[in-house]
Amino acid sequence: MSVLQLSGFGVDIGEQRLVSDVSLEIGEGEIVALAGASGSGKSLTAITPFGLSAGNGTGSARLGGEELVHLPEAEMAKLRAQKIGFVFQQPLTALTPHRSVRQHLQEAAMQAGGGAPTTRTMLAMLDAVGLADPQAKLAQYPHRLSGGERQRVLIACAIAHGPKLLVADEPTSALDASLRRDMMGLLTGLCRKQNMAMLLVSHDLASVERDADRLLLLKNGEVVEQGSAAQISQKPKSGYGKALMAATPRLTEEMLTLPDTGETLLEVRGLSVRFKKPGWRAGYLDAVKDASLTLAKGETLAIVGGSGSGKSTLGRAIAGLGPVNAGEITWQGDLLPPRKKRTAQHRRLIQPVFQDPVASLNPRWRVADSIAEPAEQILGTRPPEARIAELLAEVDLPAEFAERRAAQLSGGQAQRVAIARALSANPEMLLIDAAPSALDPLVADGVSRLFRKIQQERGLSMVFITHDLALARRCAHRIAVMDAGEIVEMATREELFSTPKTEATKKLIRASS
Amino acid sequence: MKIPLILVAAIILAALLGPLILPWDHASIDWDSVRVGLLSDGHILGTDDLGRDRLARLLVGTRITVSVALAAALVALVIGVIWGAIAGWVGGRTDEVMMRIVDGLYALPFMFVVILLMVVFGRSIFLVFLGIGAVEWLTMARVVRSEVMALKNRPFVLAAEASGSSGTRTLIRHILPNVAPVAVAYLMLTVPQVVMVESFLSFLGLGVQEPLTSLGILVNESAEAMDVNPAALLLPGGVLVTIIVCLTLAGERFRDRLTRTGRAAESAS
Amino acid sequence: MGQLILRRLMTAIPTLLAIIILSFILMRIAPGGPFDGERPLAPETRAALETAYGLDKSLPEQVVQYIGNILTGDFGPSLVYRDFTVTELVAQSLPISLLLGGLALILASILGISAGLFAALRAGKWQDEVLMLCATLLTALPTFVTGPLLALIFGLWFGWLPVSGQGDGVSWLILPVIALSLPVAGAVAKLARAGLAGQLGQDHIRAARARGIAPLTILRRHALRPALVPVASYLGPAAAGLLTGAVVIETVFGLPGLGRYFVQGALNRDYPLVLAVVTLYASLIILFNLAADLIYGWLDPRMREG
Repeated sequence: MSVLQLSGFGVDIGEQRLVSDVSLEIGEGEIVALAGASGSGKSLTAITPFGLSAGNGTGSARLGGEELVHLPEAEMAKLRAQKIGFVFQQPLTALTPHRSVRQHLQEAAMQAGGGAPTTRTMLAMLDAVGLADPQAKLAQYPHRLSGGERQRVLIACAIAHGPKLLVADEPTSALDASLRRDMMGLLTGLCRKQNMAMLLVSHDLASVERDADRLLLLKNGEVVEQGSAAQISQKPKSGYGKALMAATPRLTEEMLTLPDTGETLLEVRGLSVRFKKPGWRAGYLDAVKDASLTLAKGETLAIVGGSGSGKSTLGRAIAGLGPVNAGEITWQGDLLPPRKKRTAQHRRLIQPVFQDPVASLNPRWRVADSIAEPAEQILGTRPPEARIAELLAEVDLPAEFAERRAAQLSGGQAQRVAIARALSANPEMLLIDAAPSALDPLVADGVSRLFRKIQQERGLSMVFITHDLALARRCAHRIAVMDAGEIVEMATREELFSTPKTEATKKLIRASS
Repeated sequence: MKIPLILVAAIILAALLGPLILPWDHASIDWDSVRVGLLSDGHILGTDDLGRDRLARLLVGTRITVSVALAAALVALVIGVIWGAIAGWVGGRTDEVMMRIVDGLYALPFMFVVILLMVVFGRSIFLVFLGIGAVEWLTMARVVRSEVMALKNRPFVLAAEASGSSGTRTLIRHILPNVAPVAVAYLMLTVPQVVMVESFLSFLGLGVQEPLTSLGILVNESAEAMDVNPAALLLPGGVLVTIIVCLTLAGERFRDRLTRTGRAAESAS
Repeated sequence: MGQLILRRLMTAIPTLLAIIILSFILMRIAPGGPFDGERPLAPETRAALETAYGLDKSLPEQVVQYIGNILTGDFGPSLVYRDFTVTELVAQSLPISLLLGGLALILASILGISAGLFAALRAGKWQDEVLMLCATLLTALPTFVTGPLLALIFGLWFGWLPVSGQGDGVSWLILPVIALSLPVAGAVAKLARAGLAGQLGQDHIRAARARGIAPLTILRRHALRPALVPVASYLGPAAAGLLTGAVVIETVFGLPGLGRYFVQGALNRDYPLVLAVVTLYASLIILFNLAADLIYGWLDPRMREG
């Protein structure tokens, strides 16, 4: 029997229809996923039936036979309290800071009208979500728990009253890649075991296709494709589905050949970076420990690791944009001096590209001025307009974009302008620091194609910093895995995936497949 | 935002032009009509106990109060922006020491400091605004510092460094233009603060000295005579309150709009 | 928690000393002294006076002696009110200022917090707009305008309340307390509104709403405490100011409080008196900031770790 049934369901905000004609059915113990890019309406579709968005539902949404559309808020709240559990994207902020884990669990267990749970019940609840040392955690305030631990507490709260339906809105996208697999496994396991229905929302197709029974692919508020998850991920029918699947890198895909590499250019030996911990009680954090690597002409080296692994710090140290405490960096045998001492000639060699589209450009500058800056400062002359147009053409943007400002660009366009700026200095190497999920999959894929094209045309070397192992496998000759400040393993991509040597690498591979 | 600013502009315009038109100035005494009421003997607002034209004194007082406020706010702006920009940009120990100084000055009894300064260095109009400006820059320094700190780790600033832009050039060309709108918003909020402090000091007899006058002095004078001539209190008080309220409202709206667009830009990323 | 208090006190003592020393030196190097009357004194009278008040010693000696005296509760003799010691003057005027300031603080908190919370719950509606406009008006109204105005309306026109001095009963307190509390109430209302409106948009409130918790329970349990953090941080220094610095209100309503003695002392170069008030004020600020820190810790456990 179906737990949740949407038929011809739509969402209006004001006069505007943002989602239309969604139909789906979830039975007990079943998992249905809504997937799509941001702005596709997937979250709206998932939470509007329960009165949690600014929008109004239209059509029909039934929970165990009861119609939800137009249900008054007071009754809706009662329904939420008794029959539904919610897990949201932000584990760091979704717990009330001044209430302990015990208080959260008590409130959650009592929300459906039950009595106060005993300590033993609460310990069992925490145990069920795999939280280590539940006895101690019970008295803690949220800020003492890690992101993963908080998400486990939130899941415990969401199922404390035994709901029929669990709505999980991007439950893992704020977590580290290595945790995502575990957390999805926990959620799906709980559903199967307790016979709960789950409505899962995600922008990351690779992560939902193995967990969900059925999948709905949304684009601009409409369902473009639906069917079993396996069918959509292997043989998508719609054009959008095909494009999306092709854009999503996978560990199982065929490796494409990469351009040939030349002599060694960059060499890093024994590089360490330490930061002073904030506050008076001094102490140091070793952000990067004794890192060594080389990079050849025309080669792409991917540095992969979770957040806090030190990969960005290492990248900035190499580019001369961050501190270095020990070790040396050489270019064709010549020493690259530390940050403050780098001359224009040194700066020309390595140009960074930050994949944070909005923050990458000075909001008050014109695109032309941003692109001209490196040439002006490093090569000593302001490039003529024709040169700017040439650079814009190289990143597939029309010359008119020279007059725009950052606010008038989409994420993908801003990203392309940032690349054109890096190219304007005529560099030998690009350092690409990819922020997780800053761009939609299709746009991100377009940008990484652009990087490959540029590399081929200019014979550039690239260091590519990412958390996404599958993406690294797709575009890098060699991959360095970082964990807790150390490069624990560095090998060609073929070698790394056929014979991973360290536990950290194996864990990353498991988490990405 | 329009209406409050127009009101303030009208008051300032009247204060600038009014004294040129009036037959009386703020210090001259009309012996024939001492302490007369509204609209008598050609004195639109009457005269005070010494036979000086109330309207002329009101206009001159407004002029003094506003110019002291502007000058002091500019002093606050200059010190605050330089201090905050250096602390935020250089960071580390320098920042810590500079901000500790600001914290320390914040903890000082603010009004007492101004009064002490007045007493120690004598009562001159120059010192009034220097003293006030020297205290009011603290908030500006904090605001500018936190803006600079937030901006300096933005990728576009790192990209400027990678482009070979020197530290000073980056600060001036990339950072400060992005701080400017927020600084202007706080400048708009500093002006009414200073108006308040100046009138407060004048009210206590520590500010502007006779025969010059300011809104605070006028309120004080008329508060003493309010039982006979309530209008005398309402007018200088009204002008003072209008200036403060309008500038505060306009400044707050401007600031809120900036933070809103700032947030919108961030959430879009 | 105890560690936090200890650490705060460790930084508070040097701060206090620095303030005392700085003000002491400032007052000494100021041109003009307390004995520069209209009529010049005979040199020997002047010398005798200066010896009597310890003004002939070197500056560092004077500072050390002064701080030593303070520790025993002796702020020295007043140079202007010659029959009184400073300690006596402070002991006379402090209770009036504390009563005035304390009542104003309570009134301002009650008015401000309730208006601010109400406005936040009606965010964007007309009640919010009106209340916030009033709050801005209140913060912008100088006490030396509201004070006389209140006195004019309720004292002189209606004749309901006394407008000057300390009468019998409590009616003499009403107008000064109201006038003193209004700007603070406006500021508190703005902060409380911003605090709660900010909280209501937070993820943990959305999570509580998703659990179907009743709106009032969400407000009380989940939103209120963090919403009041900015109010607490403002009230610390504001309280110290209210308790000691009601200079204008004391002048307007003719009350012999601490603020008036301070201004009179400053004008007459009565160093010991001014220094005593500055010391008192600085210690109160430090004390209230400490209290605000403790309240933060209760409002938000993240701040307990300092």
